[in-house]
Amino acid sequence: MTLRVLLVEDDPALRNTLRDALQVEGYTVHTAASLSEGRALAAHAAPDLVLLDLGLPDGDGDALLASLRQRSSAPVLLISARHGEQQKIALLDAGADDYLVKPFSVGELLARMRVALRHRGTRLAPAVTHHRSGGLVVDLAAHRVALDGAPVHLTPTEFKLLARLVRSAGQVVTHRQLLADVWGAEFIAHTHYLRLYMGQLRAKLEADPAEPQRLLTEPGVGYRLVEGDPEPAC
Amino acid sequence: MLQALRHAQPADDPPATTAAAWAGGALAWAGSWALVLGLDGPIDLAHQALLVVLGGTLAALWWPPVAALAGGAAAVLAFNALLVPPRGSLAVARWQDALLLALMAGALAVAVGLIVRLRGQAGQARLHQARAEQLRQLGEALRDSGDPLAHAGVLQAQLAALAGAPVALLLCRAWPLADAAVATIGHADDEENAGLWHGLRQGRPMGPGTGRHGELAHWVLPLRGAVTEGGAALGAALLRLPPGRRHDDALRAHAQALCDQFGVALQRRFNREAADAATAQAQLQAVRNALLTAISHDYRTPLATILGAASSLQDQGQRLDPAQRAALAGRIVQEAEHLARLADNTLQLARLDAPGVVLQRDWESAEDLVGTVMRRARQRAPGRVLRARLEPGLPLLHCDAMLLTQLLDNLVDNALRHTPADAPVELLVRRAPGGPADAPPGVVLAVRDRGPGVAPAWRARIFEVFQRGESAAGAAPPRTGTGVGLAVCRAIARAHGGELTLRARNHGGSSFECHLPGTTQPAPAEGTA
Repeated sequence: MTLRVLLVEDDPALRNTLRDALQVEGYTVHTAASLSEGRALAAHAAPDLVLLDLGLPDGDGDALLASLRQRSSAPVLLISARHGEQQKIALLDAGADDYLVKPFSVGELLARMRVALRHRGTRLAPAVTHHRSGGLVVDLAAHRVALDGAPVHLTPTEFKLLARLVRSAGQVVTHRQLLADVWGAEFIAHTHYLRLYMGQLRAKLEADPAEPQRLLTEPGVGYRLVEGDPEPAC
Repeated sequence: MLQALRHAQPADDPPATTAAAWAGGALAWAGSWALVLGLDGPIDLAHQALLVVLGGTLAALWWPPVAALAGGAAAVLAFNALLVPPRGSLAVARWQDALLLALMAGALAVAVGLIVRLRGQAGQARLHQARAEQLRQLGEALRDSGDPLAHAGVLQAQLAALAGAPVALLLCRAWPLADAAVATIGHADDEENAGLWHGLRQGRPMGPGTGRHGELAHWVLPLRGAVTEGGAALGAALLRLPPGRRHDDALRAHAQALCDQFGVALQRRFNREAADAATAQAQLQAVRNALLTAISHDYRTPLATILGAASSLQDQGQRLDPAQRAALAGRIVQEAEHLARLADNTLQLARLDAPGVVLQRDWESAEDLVGTVMRRARQRAPGRVLRARLEPGLPLLHCDAMLLTQLLDNLVDNALRHTPADAPVELLVRRAPGGPADAPPGVVLAVRDRGPGVAPAWRARIFEVFQRGESAAGAAPPRTGTGVGLAVCRAIARAHGGELTLRARNHGGSSFECHLPGTTQPAPAEGTA
């Protein structure tokens, strides 16, 4: 069964280009040019993934996101313009899965979609407990972290921070989400905690902290742990 | 200045005769009579008569005309009574003596008349000189000061001294005339205010002697500049005329001259303001035109490549081999990315130029920013030598992460494009040297290259919008300019209270350095390990 994608985008040229590109990849694509059309299609077509352009003429997308979240856990990828930072962050905090900044390449889009679909259902199903990328191995259940075969000792806060990123590996996690999940809801304004512990994590897990290859920064938005290597079939 | 100008205030009425002047005249009379009586005997009657005429003439130098004439008449009568035979009576015995008395009286009258006229002329000359001096001083004060309105008090004081009563002024603050843009100096009641406005709008004087509204108890004099449309003046002065003082046409002409001088100064200021505004407008227009021209130029270059490659794929697609098709598609992607950066920079510059721009500041680590920039740069230029060096223990930056990464992106991009393919580019972050010991340390983010450098003449201008630098070696300007890139970088640095500078490196190359001010660091994380 092919995966159904709902594409909400008001620009016809971009909409058609993306539709064609996604169809080539084997997705079934439903397109909507406005939020109201998108809401109707979301109820009717039961998409597996939603691509939502911000800056549609009839609203800012938070109502669509809320109604989607009520009935399904289908991942939502935001497509934002360069200067729509605040709206994008608000929707990520509200439960959107990831974002792309216009202009983006089809390769980037497909990669983000793959990650999002892999995480599909993890809101309900047991969370990811393993992460392996390059020489880094994280076993959340056993509280074990190893780099190139050698165990790495993390403080409890460092481990909680890494664990939060592992659970969303490959996807952006906003500052607010990280602060709330690791330190607690009352700390969401303490971005400097994040900087400090991210620096410590990088010092332990990156070959060159000035050029991180695993713990990536999304400026102004949050952090992203690179996508894990494909799990060996068990 | 005010004191000096007040000092120059001339007495307009004939000066009141002072006690010293009375005494001077009396002394002249007393002296001549002492000689006449003292020398009575040795000298004859004709000599005595001459002495009396001399005394009367001298007295006329000090005494007012009527007193001088009365004194002369009294002297002739006294001469007749005391010295002309028969002495002791007003009778005259000889016809020669009668002739002498008549000549005496005539000579005295003529001399007094001449002296009075001379004195009048001298007084007029002094008055004219004083008024000319007053005009000159006001003119100098107005010329030396950029703002004539600051000297309105001087004009008010001078006019008040002339008229002998308080004066009210109505002055334009801006031109063209607007009801709100006027200043009122001194008190005027409603009717007088209406008169001032009338004078201001009509640009013509009113009041006694002007031929218009002669029944008024005051003069309204316009402050006229050069001819304006509608004949309006740049202000008006209201001179109240207290009864009992002489207010002649000459006085009004002088007051009008003072007013006009002020009007001309006001107009000069308005003209200068208008010229400045026009120049600024022209410069703005020129900058805008240069910007639009340059934007079009910078957009056309990648667009030409994209159009060429895309149309080639469209028209010749079937005849190209897969490698050629891939190369064309790759070029389209590359140039489109370049266009996207150009658009980002142009938009960002417009945003930062707009008033009231708000930065999304948060605590950021230099490591985060540099890591992001390095990753993007490596994706864009996989073959280049890129290095990042961060001083250990750097403070957090309170900045807009999107903007600062854009700044560093642009600087790295700029360095990569303007240096040979084998030249390394280095991103360096360190504490700013110097500064007070207790102040939070600033941070310098530098992007350094070993390229040809920037010619000294271009270093100051390279941050201006759409300047394209000439390399120091005199090589041809690069095909793609920095466009708005460096201008945006500087705008971003300044929006953070910092500055972007260009330093030529020893042994060649450039170092673009973004200096950010230090910020007091937030309290360290507590209760967590």
